[in-house]
Amino acid sequence: MTSIAELTGPPQATPFALLDEESKREIRRALLQAVATPGYQVPFGSREMPVARGWGSGGLQISLAIVGRHDVVKVIDQGDDEGVNAVNLRRLISSSTNTEETTEVNEATIVQSRHRIPEDAMEEDHILVLQVPVPEPLRGVERDMKELARMHAEADYSKMWVSLYEDKVRNGVITQTTGYPCLVAGRYVTATTPIPRWDIPRLHQSEFLTLFGAGREKRVYAIPPHTDVEPLTFDDVPFEVESADGASCRLCGSNESFLVESPGDTPTWACSDTAFCRRRRTK
Amino acid sequence: MSTAEMSMADMTSLAAIRVAEPVVRVRNLGKVYGPFDEGSLARTGPGVGTARDSRTGSIVAAWNVNFDVAAGEALGIVGESGSGKSTVLRCIAGDQAATTGDVRFQCHDDGASNILDLDPATRRRLRVDKVSVVYQDAAEGLALGVTAGGNIADPLTAAGWRNFGRIRERAAELLARTEVPLDRMDDIVRNFSGGMRQRVQIARALANNPPILLLDEPTTGLDASVAAGVLDLIRRLLEELDLAVVVVSHDFAVIEMLTQRCIVMQHGRVVEDALTDQLLEDPQHPYSQKLVAAARA
Amino acid sequence: MNPILDVRNVSKSFTLHNIDGRNVTALDNVSFAVAPGEHVALAGMSGAGKSTLLRVLYRTYTAASGSIDLTLSSGGVVDLTKLSDREVVALRGRELGYVSQFLRAQPRRAVIDLVARAGVSRGMSRDEAREAAAISLQRLNIAESLWDMHTAVLSGGEKQRVNIAAGLISPPRILLLDEPVSALDPENRERAIDLIADLSTAGVAVLAVFHDLDAIARLASRVIRMARGSIVEDGPTADILPHLQPAEVQV
Repeated sequence: MTSIAELTGPPQATPFALLDEESKREIRRALLQAVATPGYQVPFGSREMPVARGWGSGGLQISLAIVGRHDVVKVIDQGDDEGVNAVNLRRLISSSTNTEETTEVNEATIVQSRHRIPEDAMEEDHILVLQVPVPEPLRGVERDMKELARMHAEADYSKMWVSLYEDKVRNGVITQTTGYPCLVAGRYVTATTPIPRWDIPRLHQSEFLTLFGAGREKRVYAIPPHTDVEPLTFDDVPFEVESADGASCRLCGSNESFLVESPGDTPTWACSDTAFCRRRRTK
Repeated sequence: MSTAEMSMADMTSLAAIRVAEPVVRVRNLGKVYGPFDEGSLARTGPGVGTARDSRTGSIVAAWNVNFDVAAGEALGIVGESGSGKSTVLRCIAGDQAATTGDVRFQCHDDGASNILDLDPATRRRLRVDKVSVVYQDAAEGLALGVTAGGNIADPLTAAGWRNFGRIRERAAELLARTEVPLDRMDDIVRNFSGGMRQRVQIARALANNPPILLLDEPTTGLDASVAAGVLDLIRRLLEELDLAVVVVSHDFAVIEMLTQRCIVMQHGRVVEDALTDQLLEDPQHPYSQKLVAAARA
Repeated sequence: MNPILDVRNVSKSFTLHNIDGRNVTALDNVSFAVAPGEHVALAGMSGAGKSTLLRVLYRTYTAASGSIDLTLSSGGVVDLTKLSDREVVALRGRELGYVSQFLRAQPRRAVIDLVARAGVSRGMSRDEAREAAAISLQRLNIAESLWDMHTAVLSGGEKQRVNIAAGLISPPRILLLDEPVSALDPENRERAIDLIADLSTAGVAVLAVFHDLDAIARLASRVIRMARGSIVEDGPTADILPHLQPAEVQV
């Protein structure tokens, strides 16, 4: 009989990128399926990660599955490379793969992010990996799993449209901020969580591939390059992005990037994308 | 040429009364719950006095139901609880799967295919703009937590409407037609009285101008004066629009007001089919006579 | 010329399943024909089968046996007893009209709406029907203030006149009238009789149940006298009228 001592011996050498090859391949197969069916949520065997659920385990699994020895990894959280979470994830990836890290978009090949798409343009060599808490765009209007599957299968999104109608009637505008539902490739309605509305137009007909990972919900989905991404809205209700009423970044002066409020007595604004802001200042 | 000079063939064609093509054609519709053998049919029905097969425990909820409805016609299905009348309606609507039958809609494939054979997704799509249902319980036909306008926006968006302004215009137009006060358009339906809920159901049912309308006890459960108002509305709408309508009711007043022809069901079978005035004044089947006598009392 | 209506050996009985299953004969082997444009009065005591006969002709009652040949406006002939329900619905209104004794159904319908509906059922457009309804109601002396009222609030006489108005609007080639003037006061009765007389001038065949000797004399060229479900006499008005008993011409 096997003894406990035998089972508790030192672990095998950590595989490249933490996950064993079979696991990585399973995730890649799911990702290929996702790319082949843009916007469709593909289930995958989400594994336990050294990062708790809700902290980017899905995005992490995607990055680990696709990263190669020559990749350069950038990780941001709310646009900030130096957020605790971002630092943690970046170290996890690079320490298990010996790949390079960077804060500069133009040096990166994989950009993992929670809540922002970097301001700097990304090209066809980039892969954007987004961490997604809730992959299901219809969750607010339907709870039943079977019914959700049917709605996507039959492209029956009427409940979503009714909720947009109700939103506009109640509030005068469509109020969804993050996670705005979009129609991808004219077929599936997708949650763009958690990027702000500001970033959504960048997904439309992008040069780069975007992969979405939800670890807790065990789903991945994808928006391939040159794919139509249309925010759901009525013909006569234009999709609006956030505006800060003419404010500009107190550090670099930009009024064309996504700004977030800086804490303090008087309201001031700063760029959410710290790398972008820093580069503007040092130019 | 006088009739004396015509050939037999000419006379025959002249004698033909032009009857419109049916929009809904139902043949041999049947629904059985549970295991079913040949004996089940013999052990159930009006002759036996039950729809439940004593040997197998199965229920022959409806069997051998046949009728046609053309545009501009309303057909009534009368019976008491357990007669199978609602089952028939739900099988045609697609809310329940029929056990057997051949149901054709002129608006689907020009009546060339049996809609009971369609896959569920295609049948569901028919409910967007081909067949609408008004239920006895508004909660079945409406989302109670959604506004009156929103409940109408639902079938419109399902049909591809994407202009908010026009959706609202159309919803307002339908609510006006069904006499729902405009200032309640943005109230959630849960806050409406029973009669108002039925009116919103009707407005929603008509949103995409379906050719077929099915009404299942549309005024049962409403107060008498409220029911009268809703019935009058339905009658007016049936006269103005060219719908093919099936009305299910146990209430002869409803059948008399809305339909020209009807069928009487008992224990899952059709026991009589007649012109509505004929059924009310000269019912043939013993069960029909009993029902009519009770209604007249 | 072919008759517009040819009734042969029609019998009607009621099986009262819920009493004791007994069979009650209401019509016994009735045969007669109506020529186009002819006004025929049905006379006889209450219970003789006059109203029953009209209802059988209109298919509200199902004949137990016999045939009822109707000549359509197209010239073709159909046997009403053999038609499907849908064919009867198509035919009523356009080819065959019926003015009942009572205004029972649809109490909450506006007067002008009821009359206009009759026009629509005869093939008129809604607008035409509404105009024709207005004219018809005026001719029957129904005040315009009543036109939008529900029929339920009318007096018996007013209801009857509304009924007639509905019957007269774009009349089909044969009209069945069941006691059309029984509830009218003398002045309105006169008016109604004139209008019904106009029908014959217009070539409309009329088969009418009357208990009114004077009306029969003025309107009908022929009288069919019934008793206990059978026809006992059938001939020109002048011949039959003197035979009618008081009981047969009371309202």
